[in-house]
Amino acid sequence: MSEFKVHHHVSELLNLLGMRSADPVGAEVYTEMLLNNMKPYITTQVSAHQSKRKIAGSTQTPIEFLAKYDDLKAKNVRDLDPLVFLLSKLTEEEQTKEFIEKHAKDKAEVAGMTLVPHDRVTSQLPAPGTKLSVQELSEIRDKLLKEAKSAPATTSSEILTKALREKQLKRNVNIPHQPDWLFQRPSLTLDFIVGVDEPTDQNIVPLGSLPLALQEHSIIEDILCCMQGIEGKYILARALTERYAPKEFMIDQSLDPSLQELVRRQLPLCSNYSTVVRFIEEKSAFEYGLVNQALSAAMRTLIKDYMILVAQLEHQNRLGNLTLQKVWFYIQPTMRTLEILAAVANSVNRGECIGGVVLSLLHEKTSGLIGDSKGQELCLYLTQSACVPYFEILEKWIYKGIISDPYSEFLVEENETIQKEKLQEDYNDAYWEQHYTICRERIPVFLEQVADKILNTGKYLNVIRLCGRDIKCPIAEEIVYTLKDRRYTEQIEGAYNYASKVLLELLMEEKQLMARIRSMKHYFLLDKGDFIVQFMDMTEDEMKQDIDKIMPTRLETLLELALRTSTANVDPFKDDLRVELLPFDLITQLFKILTIDTKLEKDYRVDPTDLHLSGLESFSFDYVVKWPVSLVVNRKALTRYQMLFRHLFYCKHVERQLCSVWIGNKAAKMYSLHSARWYSAAFALRQRMLNFVQNFEYYMMFEVVEHNWHIFQTNMESVSNVDDVLNYHTDFLNNCLKDCMLTNPDLLKIVHKLMMVCVTFSNFIQRLSQSATIEMEEAPSRESSLQGLQARSRKDTSKQKASSKVVSEHVDLMGASENFERTIKNFDSNFSRLLLELLEKIMDFSCISGEFKLFNILYRLDFNGFYTEKLEAMSAEKAMLESSTHSSESSSGSWPTSFTSQRPDSARYVPGMHRPNVVNGSS
Amino acid sequence: MPREIITLQLGQCGNQIGMEFWKQLCSEHGISPDGILEEYATEGTDRKDVFFYQADDEHYIPRAVLLDLEPRVINTIMNSPYANLYNPENVYLSKNGGGAGNNWASGYAQAEKLYEEIFDIIDREADGSDSLEGFVVCHSIAGGTGSGMGSYLLEKLNDRFPKKLIQTYSVFPNMDEISDVVVQPYNSILTLKRLTQNADCVVVLDNTALHRIAADRLHIDTPSFAQINQLVSTVMSTSTTTLRYPGYMNNDLIGLIASLIPTPRLHYLMTGYTPLTTNSQVASVRKTTVLDVMRRLLQPKNMMVSTHANRQANHCYISILNIIQGEVDPTQVHKSLQRIRERKLAQFIPWGPASIQVALSRKSPYTQTAHRVSGLMLANHTSISSLFERTLRQYDKLKKREAFMDQFKKESIFKDNLDEFDNSREVIQQLVDEYQAATKPDYLSWGTQQAPAAERI
Repeated sequence: MSEFKVHHHVSELLNLLGMRSADPVGAEVYTEMLLNNMKPYITTQVSAHQSKRKIAGSTQTPIEFLAKYDDLKAKNVRDLDPLVFLLSKLTEEEQTKEFIEKHAKDKAEVAGMTLVPHDRVTSQLPAPGTKLSVQELSEIRDKLLKEAKSAPATTSSEILTKALREKQLKRNVNIPHQPDWLFQRPSLTLDFIVGVDEPTDQNIVPLGSLPLALQEHSIIEDILCCMQGIEGKYILARALTERYAPKEFMIDQSLDPSLQELVRRQLPLCSNYSTVVRFIEEKSAFEYGLVNQALSAAMRTLIKDYMILVAQLEHQNRLGNLTLQKVWFYIQPTMRTLEILAAVANSVNRGECIGGVVLSLLHEKTSGLIGDSKGQELCLYLTQSACVPYFEILEKWIYKGIISDPYSEFLVEENETIQKEKLQEDYNDAYWEQHYTICRERIPVFLEQVADKILNTGKYLNVIRLCGRDIKCPIAEEIVYTLKDRRYTEQIEGAYNYASKVLLELLMEEKQLMARIRSMKHYFLLDKGDFIVQFMDMTEDEMKQDIDKIMPTRLETLLELALRTSTANVDPFKDDLRVELLPFDLITQLFKILTIDTKLEKDYRVDPTDLHLSGLESFSFDYVVKWPVSLVVNRKALTRYQMLFRHLFYCKHVERQLCSVWIGNKAAKMYSLHSARWYSAAFALRQRMLNFVQNFEYYMMFEVVEHNWHIFQTNMESVSNVDDVLNYHTDFLNNCLKDCMLTNPDLLKIVHKLMMVCVTFSNFIQRLSQSATIEMEEAPSRESSLQGLQARSRKDTSKQKASSKVVSEHVDLMGASENFERTIKNFDSNFSRLLLELLEKIMDFSCISGEFKLFNILYRLDFNGFYTEKLEAMSAEKAMLESSTHSSESSSGSWPTSFTSQRPDSARYVPGMHRPNVVNGSS
Repeated sequence: MPREIITLQLGQCGNQIGMEFWKQLCSEHGISPDGILEEYATEGTDRKDVFFYQADDEHYIPRAVLLDLEPRVINTIMNSPYANLYNPENVYLSKNGGGAGNNWASGYAQAEKLYEEIFDIIDREADGSDSLEGFVVCHSIAGGTGSGMGSYLLEKLNDRFPKKLIQTYSVFPNMDEISDVVVQPYNSILTLKRLTQNADCVVVLDNTALHRIAADRLHIDTPSFAQINQLVSTVMSTSTTTLRYPGYMNNDLIGLIASLIPTPRLHYLMTGYTPLTTNSQVASVRKTTVLDVMRRLLQPKNMMVSTHANRQANHCYISILNIIQGEVDPTQVHKSLQRIRERKLAQFIPWGPASIQVALSRKSPYTQTAHRVSGLMLANHTSISSLFERTLRQYDKLKKREAFMDQFKKESIFKDNLDEFDNSREVIQQLVDEYQAATKPDYLSWGTQQAPAAERI
């Protein structure tokens, strides 16, 4: 079971138990505990039996419990034993029991209902074998809610039944209509006709009054009649008490006791005959499904033999050489046969079995009859015949990928509402996971082990079929049920291997899956750096604008141009790349995803119209994926790619900004030394930022993406089926996301803030140098107007000197003003604080989760131990703060200590900030 | 529309190493000496257009400008198989052809006169590129043309293209043997001032060290110019591989050098390359691990700058960038970094974060190399100041005697006074001081303390 499934169940359970609001721990903890302690449940007779006895011992109604248990067992309910085991465990835990009891009472009180005995509810639950789709369930829930509102008096179980009944009507939609006369004419049966008042023959004399030979003769006649389902004169059939009850007979009591005894021994045959015939007639109806029909057909052929026997006996009787003893002798083998048939019929009836369940039952019966070779042969015959239609469906599925299952008996179920076109729209794996599903209850026991393979075989073939390919399975042979050598599993496995091979070849070779993923890696994971640089160069102006001012078509054109003129040009799939402007930025998107199902969920429901996103924040690539590659690269995978892309892209952007600050600052090397006072601080900060961003990028690109890619590639070389491909690909993306810290809100928040500080800083510096250049340009124009026309070279040198003087003056001016220094210091302390926070968080996080990948960042960022000291200082400071709150005041002062000092209240002068609250928002 | 780079080759030395550089690039990109793309290279995923432009479908022309004041070297190039590679319009030879006579002032003055003609070429070349990233200047600082003309060009380039990067590959003279250029210290000091103030990144190619490496590492007793230049071209081509074979990062020049140069003046970079082989050595393909390469790069004997390491001065790395080529598993890189950190193989500055950046790059598929993994280190190390100190000492010796000043006084820049010399010396002295300061934790507040002193001067 996947982690998510467990999590879902846990939260459901918590919900049901009303723990939601009260419990601070949350479902995650339990999930983790469960995942860690998960053990397979091993069925042993002993444990089931013991737990059964334990429950029986503790309950007040042991007989009812045991009866229920037997009943369920007879119905072949799956997972009965594990449930019983769980219950027996629960009986041991007093605390839990008390809690559940209390909770149930509370709930009942709230709903204003009395407690309904449990079995009343369960008995009304749908029979195993019907499968509720999600949609139907929600319908039922809606109905329940509606009912609960309108009529609070009705008990829940009633509503439930009602809802379920409505649903059940829906299920068997495609059953052909049968003419009414089939049910109206009572004589259309081979069984005893009951309820028809026979004109009682007045001539019947009590048997006892006849001589013994005559007694025997008439009783033989009666027996032969009864064997064909016709009441005799002296043996009368009783009306059935229940639909599936065995037929009972009354014998004239005046019959000679010895004969009576013989007759009594022979009567079960008639009773069994009646059961079997009733079974055949009932189960041949459409709604019982192909398997039941096949089974009844097989039984019918046996009944035909039986009829021949009766006819022969009757012939002997006519000839006058039949005695009751002889009858007894002749029917011996047949009795056994019919007994088995009746037993089968009864089990099927009792369990209301259909389809796969019937087959499981027959399979168990067959293997249970080991030692009785004739009986086993018979059962095998029945099973084989019953298997034929089922295996036909199976063959069609595993050789062709088509389901033709009119009565929903087959273990695979198709959900037609999920279409493959949605792969490109829906953010889930619905198509692959839910289009075809296994219906656990319908699996015949003997196919249990290969059920997943059966599902996948058909699924694969179906994909191939949808690609417009013809499928010719080279090993498409008829599948026959056998008891021992299990040839059918070999056949299924063969088909599976073939299907997975063909589909894999289709995807990998014809559709060039790896090349495609590699191409996506070029664009989404910035593998082709020159393309990204070029694209960013070209779209610089566009990206700065507001999202609603950007023309997507222009972006498309620029993208096209960048693709053609960079090395991406050689990529054959480059035309599938698109641009997309999303209405939310990455952080919002991620937090939205991460906070689903937690208390914070509402915090991130931002109205999209409120936000003014710049192009950069909303930009993402998109990729056109066609069937069947869309199986692997579905919307969910694409979204993951997009998230990674946006993260990396933003880092690249920050790096670019810092680099352009570098270019802007390069003029500084001509300034006089004394202006170094301010610029060295600013340069050092820029350097630290650049160091951080580049190392962070390096970490993500080489140590995360490239490393995981490497693993992915090695895995893909040895991959054998498409499910593995899917898994590997998802693993690849998930690991990338995780190691890039995109799944950890705390870290991500800090990283994002760090990036914001960097961007704001570079905006500030760039703006500053812009105003400097404006003044610089003004200066020479003044000068040239004074000096008039001169030799060009002469003017140039003077201009240069003059301008550099102006710049340094300007810079001095800025440096002199307190404002600039303080702003730089603010940036510095902001950045340092956040970075240290990040490093500390990473350390904590790695310690707790045992996730050491993130440690690599520490190594990189702190290669020369520069931050180690600061970290130590910070922890020392923390300790100091705790001991005395005053001491921190004194330490805030000149630059080196500002690292550890308290952050100034807020940055006073921070121009060009996108969102002041992000930067200033203290943690 | 890649980020183009224009190469300017100045003087005898500049043109020689430039030629080797283009030879190397041509072989790596599969371009024939005539500029025609070879048959086998048409499907490549490399970026040729950073350094070349396409005249037609398969004809590639280097974005190079060849400048000299005397015809010897350029004539050699024009008689070599690579004659047709260059755009003939970009080859500029001074008309009087007399050369600069190893005199900085002469080179400077001649360049000033030829300004219009030279910049016509450069402007045309710059207009031909869509998003010019910067210039690469190849020259030596000792001679006349490379140093004098180079100095002038650096000043003008900075003026004309203030937002473009200027990277130089500057060959420093061999200090071990007595040079035939007696005014070498004068030339050097005047050029160094321009390199300090007008270039963004100077890759120092120290002839002393190159000769030492040739002798010690390659076992060549009297290395020829060609062999030395081959070393240089290896360094030059490797330092540009990430631009030409794009990967995740460092795909533009700025991305490469921004992190290497934290403060604008300290922009002199040392290089180291390993493993070193020459064409004469036919070595079998040897296995080398990333750690081996990275450790060897940190050894002084592989450095292409000879700094007589002064133990007391506590010199340290300001930053390091390793460009590793070949089949490398990224996890190996991380392990190597960890190892280097644990063993403290590199000393870093105390005033800021510094680390060994590693750029992984592909190798050219068209050239066979003897090693699986090779690496180039670009390092900003404070001990480079010893090179300047040495130049200063030599300059002082010469200046005290006012030797050979006559030649300089002939030119207009020194007509009135020799202030330019003093000014240059002061700039270099400040540079040395700043490098020294960068070894101390209080470097960042260094400027503040110096300020009053500087004002007094």
